[in-house]
Amino acid sequence: GMKSFGRLRVRRFYTWRGNPLSSNRKLRTHEYEVDGLPRTTVIRTGQHILIEGDDDDNPFAAKVVRLFGDESGQQKKAVVQWYVRVSEVPPSKLKLLGRDPHPREIFFYQGGNCDDEVNAESIIRPVQVKHLDADASFPPSDDGDDDETLYVKLAWDSKVFRILDSALVASPPRHPNPSLPPSPPRSPPAATPASRTSSRCTLPTPDPTVLRRAALGEVRRSRAAASAGKNPAAMERGRGGRGGGEEEPGVLSGVPHASFLDPNAEEDSEEGEGRRGDGSWKTLAGGILTSSPLSPQNAPGTPRTPRNATPSIPSRSLPARRPANVLEEARTRLHVSSVPESLPCREQEFQDIYSFVESKITDGTGGCMYISGVPGTGKTATVHEVMRCLQHAADTDEIPPFHFIEINGMKMTDPHQAYVQILQKLTGQKATADHAAALLEKRFSNPAPRKETTVLLVDELDLLWTRKQNVMYNLFNWPTCRHARLVVLTIANTMDLPERVMINRVASRLGLTRMSFQPYTFRQLQQIITSRLNKVKAFEEDALQLVSRKVAALSGDARRCLDICRRATEICELSAAGLVGMSHVMEALDEMFSSAYITAIKCASTQEQLFLRAVIAEFRRLGLEEATFQQVFVQHQALCRVEGLQPVGVSEGLAMCQRLGGCRLLLLESSRLGVLQRVRLNVSQDDVLYALKAD
Amino acid sequence: MSKRKLKNAHLPIGECVSQVLSPVSPCPCRHLEELLKRTAVHGESNSVLIVGPRGAGKTTLLRCVLRELSKETEVQKNLLQVHLNGLLQTDDRVALKEITRQLHLENVVGDKVFGSFAENLAFLLEALKKGDRSSSRPVLFVLDEFDLFAHHKNQTLLYNLFDVSQAAQTPIAVVGISCRLDVLELLEKRVKSRFSHRQIHLLSSLTFPQYLDRVRAQLRLPDDFPDGSFAEEWNASVKSLCEDGSVDEVLRRHFHSSTDFRSMHALLMLCLSRVSVAKPAIRPADLLDASRLCSADTKVNMLRGLSVLELCLIIAMKHLNDVYRGEPFNLQMVHNEFKKFLQRKSNSMYNFEHPVVMKAFEHLQQLELIRPVDGSSAKTQREYQLMRLMLDHSQIMEALQKYPQCPTDIKQWAASAFA
Repeated sequence: GMKSFGRLRVRRFYTWRGNPLSSNRKLRTHEYEVDGLPRTTVIRTGQHILIEGDDDDNPFAAKVVRLFGDESGQQKKAVVQWYVRVSEVPPSKLKLLGRDPHPREIFFYQGGNCDDEVNAESIIRPVQVKHLDADASFPPSDDGDDDETLYVKLAWDSKVFRILDSALVASPPRHPNPSLPPSPPRSPPAATPASRTSSRCTLPTPDPTVLRRAALGEVRRSRAAASAGKNPAAMERGRGGRGGGEEEPGVLSGVPHASFLDPNAEEDSEEGEGRRGDGSWKTLAGGILTSSPLSPQNAPGTPRTPRNATPSIPSRSLPARRPANVLEEARTRLHVSSVPESLPCREQEFQDIYSFVESKITDGTGGCMYISGVPGTGKTATVHEVMRCLQHAADTDEIPPFHFIEINGMKMTDPHQAYVQILQKLTGQKATADHAAALLEKRFSNPAPRKETTVLLVDELDLLWTRKQNVMYNLFNWPTCRHARLVVLTIANTMDLPERVMINRVASRLGLTRMSFQPYTFRQLQQIITSRLNKVKAFEEDALQLVSRKVAALSGDARRCLDICRRATEICELSAAGLVGMSHVMEALDEMFSSAYITAIKCASTQEQLFLRAVIAEFRRLGLEEATFQQVFVQHQALCRVEGLQPVGVSEGLAMCQRLGGCRLLLLESSRLGVLQRVRLNVSQDDVLYALKAD
Repeated sequence: MSKRKLKNAHLPIGECVSQVLSPVSPCPCRHLEELLKRTAVHGESNSVLIVGPRGAGKTTLLRCVLRELSKETEVQKNLLQVHLNGLLQTDDRVALKEITRQLHLENVVGDKVFGSFAENLAFLLEALKKGDRSSSRPVLFVLDEFDLFAHHKNQTLLYNLFDVSQAAQTPIAVVGISCRLDVLELLEKRVKSRFSHRQIHLLSSLTFPQYLDRVRAQLRLPDDFPDGSFAEEWNASVKSLCEDGSVDEVLRRHFHSSTDFRSMHALLMLCLSRVSVAKPAIRPADLLDASRLCSADTKVNMLRGLSVLELCLIIAMKHLNDVYRGEPFNLQMVHNEFKKFLQRKSNSMYNFEHPVVMKAFEHLQQLELIRPVDGSSAKTQREYQLMRLMLDHSQIMEALQKYPQCPTDIKQWAASAFA
């Protein structure tokens, strides 16, 4: 049961209490002062509430600004002022706080760009929010059972934290009976008995514990019912103490409220049990690796990867040397890793991607784009450049803020790890693949209220292919969810990946924008190098042109082009010439692209060369491109006699054959077959003869 | 460490490296040294492949370069090294653990690495990503048997290493060592694009005098040898040994067969092992013996240990091979052929019981002198299972020559089909 992370959904029903204050005819809505069922949760304006969101452990917090409904009374809504929990602030921005946040700290949300209308059904319950002065300290994090109180000190506008005025947080006068703990919202009358437990269960517990507890609750309740029958006073106390319990549809009318015999005691024991259950469950399943202080104790002797470990390569003991001359400077600039000031030759693609993402961010909608192109055509670089520019625009308030994350199919061990990485980069949470998928699904498909647009870059998309294609399906499906506000940019090498791999349902969702990056032409390559060198005069003009033309003809891969140039500067340095000229480039090209087969044949020993001759002779005799070692060996013996060399034995011949096979001049069968193994040439016969003749 | 490495270790660096010089790329040593130095000193990421046949000195070249570089403090204090071998790290999971262990990243306790495969990869990539050109210690990754890494699933490790080598992250140098000339073709196109395409080919075409010089250099004692007079005597004896006519012939034969270091060392080690206090020099006869040992045919040696019956069965198989032009045979056919010989020509041999012949046949199969034809089902009765002979005729004839007290009629029978 470890894999079922779904919670029993609690359905709440709210009704209006009191008469509408005013009605807005244009919007055909009524405004109410107070709503909610009598004797259950009452929600008022100005109150702080918890709202259902992606994360059951940390529901959204907000303050009710206004409550209203439509004319038919079907839809009940609330306008709220949002708070942000620590987990909702991007981990990178959390550093701005300059201290460790308190676990129950929240921030007054002042960023715009967020839907502040919520459905009444998503309100979980009221919550207490305390304002603390900027220099006040937080109370200790575990100070009892009613520790739902949240603390607010600062305001957050998605860029900076600010000191918050306490007047903004001030709650209205509290509930008529302030000593009461906030009671949970009503369960629907038709719910099964188990839902009573679950509706109360706001603890961060997964299914197994819930179920176990539900069972325990049943037992306890029946026992309580029995005792209640005997002890009406206790029943009375239970009733009176709470100022009215809940109706229990499943319980006989004779003892309707027996379950609330001693609610506090029950709550206590459940609380403790729930926590214990929590800790152990986390350790066992490893599903959510929160920094629970219990887990190391529960699993002694098994050191785990420290959660917040920051792995790093040690730093240098001696500083790195800076480039000292023109050639070294050029080499630094030509390294593929150096980020150029601008990306030449991809202006159109840049513009297209930029406007695509920008429009999605400003509209608050989602979408996806498929980018294809052979390796080394600047796909990832262009997208990164776009994101840099958009980030800059967001920083200067030209567009709403957004969240950019990036995954790469090649940088994970399994397609399903994509979920884990996305979740971790979004929320900093660690989870197993299945759990992460469930959480993400919920995050993107639920009409959760507040969200910045998320831009997700998926590099090497084809690696995320699975037989059921669910990873790819989700990546393309999530942006189509109305509330997801997700922009997915996918990159792969093949243009027809959508057609080849994404059958039916996936392909049908790809109402996507496509873009393909063409291999660079020689002029573009030349421009790329020139712009990278940026007036550092290290190359002759002809040399650059040669490199560009050569690479454009071969692949149009900019990386290749840069690598050749870099190698050419090294050769130039060795030959002590000032500028990189044609000869240096030629040598670099030769080194990188010339096949070594012919040289290898020329460098082989006399007998090995003779063996290759024998192979060809035997092929000609057989009229086939394949022969057994035994057949070739006969030819070899004959050739030895012709050449006046001492013939070699079979063992030696086999060893020779293996050597030629080892460097892949020959292709061989398994060496266990001995003299019976079949031999083929891995080079053309003409090449072999050419190499042997020139000798 | 092998004896060979030890022996090389006492050679001066220049000499050692000159031994692996090849005419193809005039200074592979220089190229590699410069490249690693730039990684260590400037923090420039690089990738390079050293390709050459087995025994060409690829590892030696790298060792020499590293030894030379470690003399410079700037390199010695900065460069971290990770050595992987495709034969040991058979998949990326194992390779990642080994890298993490050798780099002493945080998820290492003692020598044990914790975390799942996915976590390890994320961990390593995170660590490499955090670094940058000017502040992190550069890491040298040596991938021996590089071609085997290309067979790992998705080439994840190679992609990531090459990707880091082309990104503004921790400076790394990836040095692949492979004996396959077609190693680049094994790389997936994305991986290939990220590889810098620098290749150092170690292909040496030696002339015989050069080969002879090497032999002399390998046998020579260095000038700083403690016992000076012995060294002098020894070096003189080595010199005269190399001038001997029969030695020249033996070495020439070896040179024609293979020019690599390893076979030369195998030969010289056999000679050296015969040197003793009583006999403080290598004699030409030692070299001849060693050469004979080196080039001895293994199968012939095995045949010499067979019983006469087993030898007869081998001869019968040889005849069947001649008659049916290499078609496979079964035990029944071989036994019939053997019986024909007994009836017609034999005067020294008599017939054996069927089970005895059967046993001999099985023994031959165990020795892998014969092997069942591929795809012949195991259900077939033993006598009728089709077999092939894994010997060449020349090996059988040679074995018969060397077989102790081989009956003459059997020798004649073996030779008879040559008519």
